[in-house]
Amino acid sequence: MKRFTLLLFLFVGNQLFSQTDSTKKVEEEEDYSIYENVTSTDGQNKTFCNPKIFDLSPSRFISIAWDQQMPYDMELSQLFSYPKDSTNIVPYEKANANSTSGLRLFANIPVISSNKFLWQLGLNYWNMKYVFSEKITPTLDTSLIQQLQKNGLTTMGLHSTVYKPLNDKQFILMQVSADLSGNYTFSNIQPLKFTRYSASILWGKRPNDRKQWAIGLSRTYRVGELNFLPIILYNWTAPNRKWGTEILFPARVHVRKNFNARSLVMAGYELEGQSYRIGGIPLSVDKELEIRRGELRLRLEYQRQIWGFIWGTIQVGYRHNYSFNADYTQIGGSDFFRGFVGKQEYAMINKLGGAPYFNVGIHLVSP
Amino acid sequence: MKTTAKLFSVLFFLILIFSFTPDDDGDRLVGVWAPSNGKARIKVEKIGNKYYGKIVWLREPIDPVTQIPKVDKNNPDASMQNVPLKGYRLLKDFIYSGKNEWTEGTIYDPENGSTYSCLITMKDNNTLDIRGYIGLKALGRTDVWKRLEIKK
Repeated sequence: MKRFTLLLFLFVGNQLFSQTDSTKKVEEEEDYSIYENVTSTDGQNKTFCNPKIFDLSPSRFISIAWDQQMPYDMELSQLFSYPKDSTNIVPYEKANANSTSGLRLFANIPVISSNKFLWQLGLNYWNMKYVFSEKITPTLDTSLIQQLQKNGLTTMGLHSTVYKPLNDKQFILMQVSADLSGNYTFSNIQPLKFTRYSASILWGKRPNDRKQWAIGLSRTYRVGELNFLPIILYNWTAPNRKWGTEILFPARVHVRKNFNARSLVMAGYELEGQSYRIGGIPLSVDKELEIRRGELRLRLEYQRQIWGFIWGTIQVGYRHNYSFNADYTQIGGSDFFRGFVGKQEYAMINKLGGAPYFNVGIHLVSP
Repeated sequence: MKTTAKLFSVLFFLILIFSFTPDDDGDRLVGVWAPSNGKARIKVEKIGNKYYGKIVWLREPIDPVTQIPKVDKNNPDASMQNVPLKGYRLLKDFIYSGKNEWTEGTIYDPENGSTYSCLITMKDNNTLDIRGYIGLKALGRTDVWKRLEIKK
């Protein structure tokens, strides 16, 4: 009986005293010098370079934005006229776009996110509605301007990003995206055979917490039509951590000014584009019309934390049209490569005036 | 007498079981740990029935701009911005929930002044997966921490 009582006392006593001791420990003055000399009990923890550097604008999990362009003129050449260059085009369709605006939704969710491998999957939805003034010529229902006014342009896409650090300094970054772009609606989505694919691969270094650079190749539609371009990534933060750059040339180049950890402003440009299959215009039996929209957006963007991980952005700038030309592509949906030197003639050469624009967005940002 | 002995035997085994409750198992978290970036060492200790982790060593203890010991300058609370990083408690309020997991706690990132929900999973006695996340565990990032031993 005494033995049981003793055991009972030992166990209960042990529980009580162990808790009291650990509480006391915290109040004691800590001698931090003892943590200088340590040894790992399980070998060295392998260090992999982080995908970010100090003070970069936060990457986004979910993004909702509204984009609006101010009025501009639009002059389109006649179909089948095959103009040689934009200086000699005789405008066939003319209109004044009072506004071009739409919703931009974006989600990017990590599938695997650890210090040695990052894989994100995402989707995006962009819509551009065109509102023209009354003076549209011609008034044919099958004209391109009428088609734009009817449904606008929509892009829906899936994308995947893989970041693989090779060690504490080097990394590989890969991106693949598949976009379905055109003048379709949700009730009449265009066939998947018109999906356009983009991809890029970069190898780079992150020499310290304030700099990362990489070089690579990209298959892109950013200039409107299919292109293969070398790309350079250069993200840098100044030693005083007030300035920096965020560059993925030629897609975007920005100078960054950090006010603090929760607000910043960026100035620079972004190339934005996609290839849109246009339905509703009667063509020959084996051809499709595809608008090669590419634009240069010179811009200033203010980003700040609203609450917790919710950030807001306001962007103002000027949209310069690089391309709104159209190609005939084979009805099977396959595309061709013209690049900057190809001789293939456009089906339409179109001119769009420049326009000021703004973009406001709200975002759930990532840790 | 036999009945009393039986009763005490049962009581003894119950106490034996409860003396190895998840709480004590959770004490395996106590110790000094190194995040994968090697920039800091974190000492995890138990206060009451919760676990906390504070910075006890920094690879670069001096701010290169101000040339004084680093402080928590990115903290959104202005009154905390002069608090030294050494000694700063960045793991807070963890409870051992069994199955090698510590939950209910938060992790603070002094690089950007953000506090994240956090799940700690012990992969083996010397390795932790530290997952900071926002709301859903899917919206986060995992870092691997290794146990350190202080040289005598």
